[in-house]
Amino acid sequence: MMDWWRIGQLSRWPVGLVPGVLVLAVVLATRGMGWWQGLEWKALDASLRSRPTEPLDDRIVIVGIEENDIQQVGTYPIPDRHLTELIATLERYQPRVIGLDIYRDLPINPGHEEFRKVAENLDSLIAIEKLLPPAVVGPEYLPPERIGFVDVVPDGDGFWRRSLLGAATPDGAYHLAFTLRMAERYLAQEGLSLENGIRNPVAMRFGTIELAPLTPNAGGYVNADMGGHQVLVNYRSGSDPFRRLTMAQVLNGQLEPDWLRDRIVLIGITAPSVKDFANTAAIISDNPGLVFGIEFQAHAISQITSAALDNRPLLKVWPQPVEYGWIMLWGAAGLILGRLLPKPLKQVLVVGGGNLVLLGTGFGLLLWQGWWIPVVPALAVFTINGVVFPLFYWYDRGLRSRIQERQLVIDNTFSAIHNGPLQTLAQVLQASRDPSQISPALSSKLQDLNRELRRVYTLVSQEALVHEAQVYLNYSQGIDLTLPLHQLFYQVYTQTLEQDMLGFQTLKVRLIEFEPMDDRALHLEDKRSLCRFLQESLLNVGKYAVNATRLWIICKPITSKLGKLQNMVRVADNGHDTCSASFDGDVSDVCGHGTQQAKHLSKRLRGQFQRYPNIPNGTVCELIWPVYREGVWPLRPMSWSEKGKERPTDSF
Amino acid sequence: MGYNNPKPLRFVIVDDHEIVLDSTARVVQHRYPEAEILQVPTANQALDLVEADIPDAMIVDLSIPETALVDSFSRARVEVGIQLLTILMERFPTLNIMVQSAHGQALVRLKPSILAHQGGFTIADKSQSMEDMLTKFDWALKGLNYLPPEMRSGLELKPEWLTVLELAFQRGLQDRVIAEEMNIAQRTVRHYWSKIQDALGVYPEEGKNVRIQTEIRAREEGLID
Repeated sequence: MMDWWRIGQLSRWPVGLVPGVLVLAVVLATRGMGWWQGLEWKALDASLRSRPTEPLDDRIVIVGIEENDIQQVGTYPIPDRHLTELIATLERYQPRVIGLDIYRDLPINPGHEEFRKVAENLDSLIAIEKLLPPAVVGPEYLPPERIGFVDVVPDGDGFWRRSLLGAATPDGAYHLAFTLRMAERYLAQEGLSLENGIRNPVAMRFGTIELAPLTPNAGGYVNADMGGHQVLVNYRSGSDPFRRLTMAQVLNGQLEPDWLRDRIVLIGITAPSVKDFANTAAIISDNPGLVFGIEFQAHAISQITSAALDNRPLLKVWPQPVEYGWIMLWGAAGLILGRLLPKPLKQVLVVGGGNLVLLGTGFGLLLWQGWWIPVVPALAVFTINGVVFPLFYWYDRGLRSRIQERQLVIDNTFSAIHNGPLQTLAQVLQASRDPSQISPALSSKLQDLNRELRRVYTLVSQEALVHEAQVYLNYSQGIDLTLPLHQLFYQVYTQTLEQDMLGFQTLKVRLIEFEPMDDRALHLEDKRSLCRFLQESLLNVGKYAVNATRLWIICKPITSKLGKLQNMVRVADNGHDTCSASFDGDVSDVCGHGTQQAKHLSKRLRGQFQRYPNIPNGTVCELIWPVYREGVWPLRPMSWSEKGKERPTDSF
Repeated sequence: MGYNNPKPLRFVIVDDHEIVLDSTARVVQHRYPEAEILQVPTANQALDLVEADIPDAMIVDLSIPETALVDSFSRARVEVGIQLLTILMERFPTLNIMVQSAHGQALVRLKPSILAHQGGFTIADKSQSMEDMLTKFDWALKGLNYLPPEMRSGLELKPEWLTVLELAFQRGLQDRVIAEEMNIAQRTVRHYWSKIQDALGVYPEEGKNVRIQTEIRAREEGLID
């Protein structure tokens, strides 16, 4: 079984499978190295962007301080007095929770004392801090549970796809994110409190939904910084997912009270000059790739509240083994399709169809349950295998058909010669039997011409044979290795015996047996080696046998004592062995250069090679090997000799 | 082999040249006036005929097309003739066959099958006379063997044939006893004799005893002491 990995056996893989398996291996390896991260991110962005518009999330209202508002106020940062006024106005509409996404680490007068009093007393107000350097502390006069951090960890390409929900600071304190604090406050009144996960103990849980922390290799990520508790952001699709008001609109009362009552109100800067931007490609916005920071916070809050209250899916990823299994599955599918479909047009259609199915599945799973699956690598292996494999196949086919064409031309040419000049010649030759018609000298010239013309065909047709499938015994002609084994051996024998060798000259009779053998487990290379073995054995007779009159060549199937089917090649003579007679030791070490090769061959075929004296005179050289070898299945189809038993339709 | 067969003899001739087909059929008919002669131009048709009813003898041209359809298979090719012979010898081991060929060389690789074939098997060179062709056909019909010199390389015998020679000429046994000794059918012994005669180049001749000729030749070749 181990032998499957030996070099000699590797070449027995169907050649076309090698590039396909290689492609799959390369894609799996490079994915592990992170080369596919960027493409998988882009695919996720594109899928999220392509979703149909979701209804407005009216639980969240964004109150933006616009460019106009800043000009109205006349100074920046916005002084505490103006924020107090805004918050007090909003409070009149009784929102459930107010989030102030503006740093207030320092008092900004005028109006700080008043702001501080309002903030302290307004329990529904949540303020922000920033943990990562440069750190910004929250308002010191507010208790920690009313402060949340706004840190975000961008991906390698600068875009924001993850939301950080909780993180420990170096001093060991565990801080919660602004978004989580907002959602927690809102959901608390719905009877859903923040708990530890049930399915995943390290997850955060509201009721039945669990926010599991991402791992460094989750989804398309490879070795990402997943510090703290991070989750993917399932951006709400559509160009206007949340209600927006400006500071001026709120102060002037240009709004429906219902918009704010019992809602989440987020106060943030929406002035481009302040540059509080979030990078995202997952949502459609006026400014491609950019949304305001406050909008990103809104999406991150919305995905938690919508999941808990509306069962809107959160983004999920498959376990690693499932992802890699999925990619391998598509790689294999590509390989199989490439093999099944011999027509290039069908190939393109089916691979195209397969691509659509894959894209559809990826998009469908994302829409339905928020699954982010590896679409791009699967697409790559499927398409490359579905196209690369057939390319190899077509190359091979092309080569074969060119050779066939050549053979066709040769056959046609010869048919023309055969049907024309040769027929005429045959008639002339018949007539030439009458000496009165034609002189004997001319007659014999005509015979020569006849033979010469026929030789042309034999010579030319040999040229056209595929070289790989031939064995050359250093004589004039190659032998077609695809012939059945006994026919092959017969030709090796006749060609070898044509050699002018001393041992052959005294031969009176050759006792031969060439019977059909089951050679389906043999590959061309094995057959080539067997031919060389027979040649070598015969040449040894020619070289070392003196006064041999009889030569035995037996090539036939036999049955072992244990009933196993075996094939045998035996060459024996009755001459004096000049080689072994002059050495005392093991004759096989000295005589016959081919002995080592014969031993290797017999080992490869799991057979037995023997060289022993023939009684009373001569030497026997014998190779016996089993028809079926363990671990090697007959890969080739049945040979023609078996086909002949069925009605031949195309066997000619 | 049908000498005393009450049924009339039945021959199949395969050749794609109408003129050749006609003239061959005419000559054969002249020799065997009672015989029924079927002529077909392609390998597939020939196989159909033989399958339906095994003929007493066949004349096969080596260069024939596979089918009668007008496509790439309809060209006459030596390969087709060889394939047809392969199938015929495999499925009808006692069929008498005469091959009409200009390419004796092409048949060399079929030699193992020819040596194992139990029916008559002769090869007639197309450039030889009609009389020669008829002789070869006669021999095939009688279950004899003839291979042209270019298909031979030295004296080739199967080990069993040597045993037959030894039993017959050293121990003077009759075919029936030889069959018993070798544990084979008497018909197989006759088939071996036919092969031995061809190997030694002994063919029927007016006024000569084939068995004695065979013994003389075997002694000449040193096959028996």
